[in-house]
Amino acid sequence: MMDWLSGYEVLFQLTLSLTLLALSLQIPLRMGVVSFASVGYFAIGGYTTAILVVHSGWSTWPAVVAGTVIAGVIAYLLGLGIAHLNGLYLAMATVSFSMILSVVAVNGGSLTGGPIGLFGVMGDATTWHFFIIVILVIIAISFTERGRLSRRFDAIREDPQLASAMGINVVRYRRLSFLISGAIGGLAGSMSVLMKTTISPESIGFGLIVLALTVIIVGGQGSWVGAVVGSVFFLWMPQTLDFVGTWEAVLYGLIVAVAAIYLPGGVVAVYKNWRYRRYVAHRNATLPEAVGASQGGE
Amino acid sequence: MNLQDVVNAMTLGSIYLLFALGMALVWGTMGILNFAHGSIFMFSAFMGFIVTGFVPLPLPAVVLIAVVTGALLTLAIQYFAYQPILKRVKSVAAAELQIVVAGIGIAAVPVAIAEKVTLSNNFGFQNSTFEAEVFEFAGIRITNIMILILVAGLGLGIGTALWIARSRRGLGLRAVGVDPETAALMGVDRKRMALATMAFSGALAGLSGALLTYYLTAINPHSGDGLLLKAFAVIILGGLGSVVGVILGAFILAFAETAVFAYTSGTWVSAISFGLIFILLLVRPQGILGKKEVRRT
Repeated sequence: MMDWLSGYEVLFQLTLSLTLLALSLQIPLRMGVVSFASVGYFAIGGYTTAILVVHSGWSTWPAVVAGTVIAGVIAYLLGLGIAHLNGLYLAMATVSFSMILSVVAVNGGSLTGGPIGLFGVMGDATTWHFFIIVILVIIAISFTERGRLSRRFDAIREDPQLASAMGINVVRYRRLSFLISGAIGGLAGSMSVLMKTTISPESIGFGLIVLALTVIIVGGQGSWVGAVVGSVFFLWMPQTLDFVGTWEAVLYGLIVAVAAIYLPGGVVAVYKNWRYRRYVAHRNATLPEAVGASQGGE
Repeated sequence: MNLQDVVNAMTLGSIYLLFALGMALVWGTMGILNFAHGSIFMFSAFMGFIVTGFVPLPLPAVVLIAVVTGALLTLAIQYFAYQPILKRVKSVAAAELQIVVAGIGIAAVPVAIAEKVTLSNNFGFQNSTFEAEVFEFAGIRITNIMILILVAGLGLGIGTALWIARSRRGLGLRAVGVDPETAALMGVDRKRMALATMAFSGALAGLSGALLTYYLTAINPHSGDGLLLKAFAVIILGGLGSVVGVILGAFILAFAETAVFAYTSGTWVSAISFGLIFILLLVRPQGILGKKEVRRT
């Protein structure tokens, strides 16, 4: 296990980063907020940690906490400004937010290292630390995926007006989703920069937005499992599909398009549907006279 | 900003206008935000590049190839991607994210193909028989291709604005934008309208692709990405659903970028479009000419 892991350590680190970033994108999405600002939070967290470690000589963990907290606070302020916008407008505003940050990083002079970025961000964080952090975040998120909180999220997404009428403070939840998304995104950036020891404006561009989004769509929007499955799929697929070779990018585009058109719930929804059908078939087989049998086609 | 900068900004604005107009029409009336628009723009010019590699063609033929490629590609995307998505949802709003992601996925395919063929290098219409001519008067240098871009941009922009405002079909298209169900009951053939709008939008992408390639002499497989983000700025600036707004937005963006380029180091130019989007969405989300939307939650 250890030998195998060391051979793939970089890929494993990338998977952890992408999983966290995808989770950061997913939290607002579960409340119907299409926000692409996660890449911006990733940039804020990454650059904060890098600047504190390289320029100010901070030690690893305070720098990570600072990156996470600053990203969370900025995300919350952003949420105050734009959480009221409608669907695609909010998407556009958050895309611009992320892209402005990469332009700022290019023009940041010696503080951000300009177009080349910052190098030598050395800390004592290991891949195992990162792994444990991701597990902790996933455990925390899994609590929002069951019971009352999960139903509230669903109501806010499916019908905000109804949710509001039921006494759910939709605006507060949406702002909260920005805060959580910001903290997770910032954490992803901080840890990612410590693993790679470098950050550059190029690594926080539009391409990263697209990658995180496609991970969620192919994996599934509704659950953390989707973020994990999607990240593993997109990062490990090129490793295993050697025969695709140079046409990888074409295949990648087609997979994303087909998933978006035919599997809107992602791989996770396909699995859930399959389990539900099996359950219905099983129930109908054991209770042939049951009233529920007629509803099996649902 | 001298007179030369003004002429350059007008040309740039016309390119933005041609590119963003098709996107704005499709988004404003059918609610489809076509993320593959930039990719179609690039691939149309790419087809011109491929064909001129075999036969040296004059400018009108190259432009025609690009326009037809753009229209056909966009129709194909509408037919194979967006229609199947819309068929299975209650409202366009519910499918927003699905449409955006499908567009992103599809956009990656032509870019990947062009990258593979050109090995990620720039490409242009070197073998076209068209010769660029430079005219000089009153200290301004203007090329024949710049004049063509200005005429095409302003002509199509104003023409479309008038058509939407005055003609019966334009009225039908606006009706679809307000309420598709009611429009269909009033005798608007929604499906045909959608396909025609998509084809027009793709043709404009192709046209702007060919003209920009002639203007810059070369573009690269990723040229569409940057333009796509700028088109968002143009549309949001002008206000969704307003063609006059798109014209305004295109020229405001072009002039702002030219001014920033003239007075600062060039690296801030790309922040203009994002900054404009962001500030406008904070202050006036409906754009300069858009109508305010009522939202209860």
